[in-house]
Amino acid sequence: MTATAAISVRDLRKAYGPNEVLRGVSFDVAPNEVLCVIGPSGSGKSTMLKCLNLLERPTGGSVVVAGVTLTDPKADVDAARTKIGMVFQHFNLFGHLDVLSNVTLALRHVRKLGRAEAEEIAHAQLARLGLAHLARHRPANLSGGQQQRVAIARSLAMSPEVMLFDEATSALDPELVKDVLAVMRELAGTGMTMVVVTHEMGFAQEVADRVIFMDGGLIAEDGGAREVLGDPSSPRLREFLSQVL
Amino acid sequence: MNDFLHTFFDWSEITGILPSLLTEGLRNTLLIAVLAILFGLAVGVLLAMLLLSRRRLVRLPARIYVDVFRGLPAIVTVSLIGLGLPAAGVRPFGRSPLGYAVIAVGLISAAYCAEIFRSGIQSVPPGQMQAGRSLGMSYLTTMRLVIVPQGVRNVLPALTGQFIVDVKESSLVYLLGLGAGQRELYFIAQEQQAASYNASALVAAGLCYLVITIPLTYLVNWLDRRMREGRPARTAGGAADPGAPPDGAGAGAGGAVGAGVDGKAEGALLTARDGGEGRA
Ligand SMILES: Nc1ncnc2c1ncn2[C@@H]1O[C@H](COP(=O)(O)OP(=O)(O)O)[C@@H](O)[C@H]1O
Ligand SMILES: [Mg+2]
Repeated sequence: MTATAAISVRDLRKAYGPNEVLRGVSFDVAPNEVLCVIGPSGSGKSTMLKCLNLLERPTGGSVVVAGVTLTDPKADVDAARTKIGMVFQHFNLFGHLDVLSNVTLALRHVRKLGRAEAEEIAHAQLARLGLAHLARHRPANLSGGQQQRVAIARSLAMSPEVMLFDEATSALDPELVKDVLAVMRELAGTGMTMVVVTHEMGFAQEVADRVIFMDGGLIAEDGGAREVLGDPSSPRLREFLSQVL
Repeated sequence: MNDFLHTFFDWSEITGILPSLLTEGLRNTLLIAVLAILFGLAVGVLLAMLLLSRRRLVRLPARIYVDVFRGLPAIVTVSLIGLGLPAAGVRPFGRSPLGYAVIAVGLISAAYCAEIFRSGIQSVPPGQMQAGRSLGMSYLTTMRLVIVPQGVRNVLPALTGQFIVDVKESSLVYLLGLGAGQRELYFIAQEQQAASYNASALVAAGLCYLVITIPLTYLVNWLDRRMREGRPARTAGGAADPGAPPDGAGAGAGGAVGAGVDGKAEGALLTARDGGEGRA
C-alpha cells in the first residue's frame, strides 16, 4: 500500500448471497490521477465504485480513501463521505428541491453552514458549471445534461478530495453527452483525483492517466491509458473494445 | 312526503340547533380531529420508520401495533381508552372525555398513517438515499430531509382519506358522555333528536361534517399541486441570476430541454435497479 495514495484498495470482495460480484480487486489511485474503469455490463464496476464510499459494504478486503480506512468498523464513514464526491448514472437529484437547495442541502446539514454562506458557495459552484440561471428551477424541468451538471455541482460544493463517476453520461441523449464530458475534462484539468466508470472510450483515451478493465469481478487489465486501450493484450479486452468502439 | 320533509328538513329545528352546532359543536369536533390527526401523523411517521427497519426485533412491535389498531373497531378502541383507562385509575385528562377521544382516534390514525407513510417512503427511488448518503448525510438526516418529504408527497391522497376518517371518528366521543361546553357536532344533534323525535338536527350536523371534510380534500389537492410545481421563483436571494427565465421554460446553456428527455430520465430513475439500500 502506497502511503501517498488517494485511494488504496486491497483484495476487495463483495458477495450478494452466493453470488460473488467482486472477487479480489486491488489497485491504487495516486493524488491528481484520473483512473477510468471499463468493462462489460455486470462485471462489477458499479459495485466496486460503491464500495469506495461504502454505499455497498464490502464482504472482504480493505478500502482506504483520503486517508480513512473505510473498511475499519470504527471509521466515521459519514465524515469520510464528505471527502468523496459521487456522480450517478441517473443523476439522483433531490426531486422536491430546486437546484440551489440541491447544492446547499449537505452544506447546511452536514457542514452546518448558515443559509447565506451555503448559498454563496452553491452559486459560485453553479456559475462555474454554467448553471447560474437555473438556480431556482426544479430538476424535473431541466434537461438530462443540465441535471447531471447540477449533480456534479452538488458534489463539488462539498470540496471533495476524490470524485467518483458511475457512467455519468450513459443516461443522456447523445447531443447532451459532450457538455457533461467537458465538465469532467475540466475537472480533471484542475488536478481532481477521479475514478470514472465509463463507456466513452474517447474520453478515457484523452483524459485518463490509467485504465482498468474489469471482467467477471476481477481486474483483467490495469495500465496506462495508451497501452491498455491502444495495445490490448488480452483477447477479452480486444473483443470488448471492438464492441464499444 | 310531507312527513318525510318535516322529519329531515324542519327549518325551525335546523335554525334552532345551528347556533350551538356552529359555536360549541364545530369547535370541539375540530379540536378532537385536528389533535388526533397531528398525533396520528407524528406517531405514524415513527412507526413507519420502525416498519422499514432491517431488524426483525424493531419491526415486530410496530407490526403488532399496526395490526391491532387497524383490526379493532374504532368504537371498541374509543371505549377501551375513554371508559377503560379512567376506570383503571389512569386519568391523564381528568374527567374531560375530549383528551381520551383525541388519544383513541389518534392511536387508530397512527396505525393507518404508518402503513401510508411506509408505502410512500418505499415509493422513493433508492438512488435518493444513495445520493444523500454519498454527500455525508446520515441515514436519519437523509430520511428526514430527502426521503420522507418526497414519500409524503406520493401518498397525500391516501393521507387525505385518513384525515376524513379521523374527523368522522371524532363523533365516537359521544360514547364517553359529554358535559356542557364539551359537546361536539354529533352529540348536540343526537341530544336534540332524542328530545324532539325529529332528525333535522342530525341533518344539520351532517352538513357541518361535510363543510369540514369536502374542503379538506380540495385543500390537500391544492397543496399537492403547489408542492409539485414548486413555489414561484423567489426574488429574495435570487439576486445572482437576474435574467432567470420563469420556471419550466428553462432552455439553458446546456441546450435543448425536451419533454422527451425529461420523461426518459424520470422513467429510468423509477426503474433503476441501483443496488442496496445504502444504509451502510
Ligand atoms: N443489490 C444487489 N443485489 C444482488 N445482486 C446485485 C446487486 N447489485 C448488483 N448485483 C449484481 O452484481 C453484478 C455486478 O453488477 P454491477 O456492479 O452493477 O455491474 P456493472 O456496473 O459493471 O454493470 C451483476 O450481476 C448484478 O446483477
Ligand atoms: Mg454499472
